[in-house]
Amino acid sequence: MKSKVMPIDEALSVVKDGTRLMLGGFIDAGSPLSSIEKLVEKKVKNLTLIAVTPGMSGFGKSMLYKNKQVKELISTHVGTSAESTEAYLAGELLIKEFFPMGTWIEKVRAGAMGLGGVLVPVGVGILDEVDLFPNLEEAKKVVEVSGVKCFIEPALTAEVSIVKAWRADTMGNLEFRGTSLNNNMDMAMAGKYTIAEVNEIVPVGTIAPERVGCPGVFVNAIVQGKKIDEQDELYKSVWLDRGKLVKEGDIDGHS
Amino acid sequence: MDIREIIARRAAQELEDGQVANLGFGIPTQAVNYLPESVTLIMHTENGAFGFGAKPSYDTCNSDVTNAGSEPVTMLQGGAYMSLATSLGAMRNGYIDVTILGALEVDQNGNIANWAVKRNDMWWPGIGGAMDLTYGTKKIIATLQHTDKHGNSKIKKQCELPLTGKGCVKTIITEKAVFDIVNGVLVLREVYPGLSVSEVQEITEAEFIVSDDLKEMTF
Repeated sequence: MKSKVMPIDEALSVVKDGTRLMLGGFIDAGSPLSSIEKLVEKKVKNLTLIAVTPGMSGFGKSMLYKNKQVKELISTHVGTSAESTEAYLAGELLIKEFFPMGTWIEKVRAGAMGLGGVLVPVGVGILDEVDLFPNLEEAKKVVEVSGVKCFIEPALTAEVSIVKAWRADTMGNLEFRGTSLNNNMDMAMAGKYTIAEVNEIVPVGTIAPERVGCPGVFVNAIVQGKKIDEQDELYKSVWLDRGKLVKEGDIDGHS
Repeated sequence: MDIREIIARRAAQELEDGQVANLGFGIPTQAVNYLPESVTLIMHTENGAFGFGAKPSYDTCNSDVTNAGSEPVTMLQGGAYMSLATSLGAMRNGYIDVTILGALEVDQNGNIANWAVKRNDMWWPGIGGAMDLTYGTKKIIATLQHTDKHGNSKIKKQCELPLTGKGCVKTIITEKAVFDIVNGVLVLREVYPGLSVSEVQEITEAEFIVSDDLKEMTF
């Protein structure tokens, strides 16, 4: 059977100007950083980006806004990144509406599972207020189901999904690590062409079937990202810089 | 004690042993520092975990174990990871017992606004997980400074900013007072030591009644 492993340039050749693209990660934790670096290098423009948050300031996805490569963002937020905030407030980044996070991920899941959409009660009577989102092409639709008013939320799909996993075998089976699972599994299934960037590529049989977080059937290409040690060092240096981590000893309390 | 510490210390008293809790950033997260030893929470983070703990040391830090602010955390024994969809579903469907949220405005009907302000005539910064949290969480505690920098009340008759949740707030904690919303009525439960009810009225736009059991806040 043909291996799904390919050089990152070959895999990313499917991303072109105007591509509708999903990128995994949560404020750029569990994010396909090497692929994003390549997209910046490729200078693809007019992307429609589907991502749960725009990313982390000065890092990862933020370089795409900085270089004006994203035309529209379909997301829950714009404020987690200084670069996306700047592009949005300058009128250079279109956001038609903000979705509650649970609504957003269910729209992705509906796309992944071949559904037309989902019925979501969150935000009814708030997000359908006239003039809240002036860029919406049509008003949000509400239906009452079993006595509960719900939005009809159409499914989200993409031409290309790029996700991040810990490791993959050559058949594309993915294993995730920690909270970096986030939306990567659902997103991997929602793209017509899915690229998984991983820390480690292992032979078939290494990942036990019950440890497979996303079956390889949903994945088209596996690319080698940063090795796990390299990834740890990169995030640790960012967190150290921003006071989220200190070099010696433990800190009391939470975050 | 600064205003933030007053609010965080008072908010901590609302948390009970064994509760599944999602705490917003800033003052809400700070409340954990003031929990009595008898109270252990199951901390939820919307990016996908129950049972996270303190920050890691530099040497034990794992770049794939983070909280909703994309900061490194540790996992406690008994903790569990889950997908984002499961995590938000847990919020929407009533599996979170309590949340403490920062707020821009609250009102006497238990409405809360905390996701949007106008910048360049556009709403910013966005919703994130806040609406799912206010939709499904059993007990919602709003924390905020009583007045803005111009002295205007942030506890309003009616919120003016886009809402996050409608009629969902159970308790409001400021540096001056604690209110409950009981059957749609705002009730003053506690005042800052030495403050009179009329002094609270002067800085509060919302209409409220005074609890028969009015107390002074303790920290």
